[in-house]
Amino acid sequence: MLEEKEFIERLLNPKTQNEAFQKLLSEYQKPLYNHIRNIVLNHDDTDDVLQNTFVKVFQHLKNFKGDSKLFSWMYRIATNEALTFLNQKAKKSGISSEALQNKAIDNLKSDSYFDGDEIQIKLQQAIVTLPEKQQLVFKMKYFEELKYEEISEILGTSVGALKASYHHAVKKIEAFVTTN
Amino acid sequence: MKEFKLDTTQKIASGFKTPDNYFDTLSEKVMLQIPEKEVKVLSIFQRKKSIIFLVAAVFMIALLLPQLFTSATKTTELDNSSIENYLTYQSNVSQYDIINLLDEEDIDALRQEVAVDGDMVENSSNTN
Repeated sequence: MLEEKEFIERLLNPKTQNEAFQKLLSEYQKPLYNHIRNIVLNHDDTDDVLQNTFVKVFQHLKNFKGDSKLFSWMYRIATNEALTFLNQKAKKSGISSEALQNKAIDNLKSDSYFDGDEIQIKLQQAIVTLPEKQQLVFKMKYFEELKYEEISEILGTSVGALKASYHHAVKKIEAFVTTN
Repeated sequence: MKEFKLDTTQKIASGFKTPDNYFDTLSEKVMLQIPEKEVKVLSIFQRKKSIIFLVAAVFMIALLLPQLFTSATKTTELDNSSIENYLTYQSNVSQYDIINLLDEEDIDALRQEVAVDGDMVENSSNTN
């Protein structure tokens, strides 16, 4: 905790800010990329959202009060950016967010940055049928392997509610894959 | 149909890949989007303008200062006739009060200032 406090001070100090931010970037770029990619599915969109996320993190560092961990604060920004991006893209295309995600899954088959097979496509199709919150919980737990406590800090939901959400998501996905 | 179970099936990876060396260049791309700390730069014209304003302000102060001082001295210094007029017409001080306030030196000074001739006094008292 003290280490994180010192690191935040270095991020806020103009003399050490750039060096500390580079460290933050190299430490979090992969996990945040995976988190965003699981939401927006396509690499180019993920690249845009990830860059915006880091720029926002830098711009709002001075407002970071340390009430939550830096890790969960950054994940929250990344989640909001990814969801906002999806909603705006759907609005521009004049379709629902679910329709947009289905289209993105269809495109995965020809995506050079996707090496999944049929079961992975089916899993993605099953996830899209879930409510937004269940989708997030499932992806964060199953693909990103985050702990419930960490997801709780990021999404602001109790661990109990998250466990129930994940359980429901798993049941629906299993039913979808079995019948399709 | 075989029932699909997530926890009994081998873990399914997301299948997402990134372009080669993507993470090597990301940091640079992000840093390019972060603006440098804004340094206030004054253009030559703006600097000249500030200097002109400064010189004008000093000039105005230099012009106004003597006037301020002279008006101040005018109001504070009273000449004798003004005091005399005030005592005669505006105040409640009677001539007897003034006489009581005079000492020997003042009386001598008055004698020298107003040279009173004995005959004139006699004539005056006879006529009045």
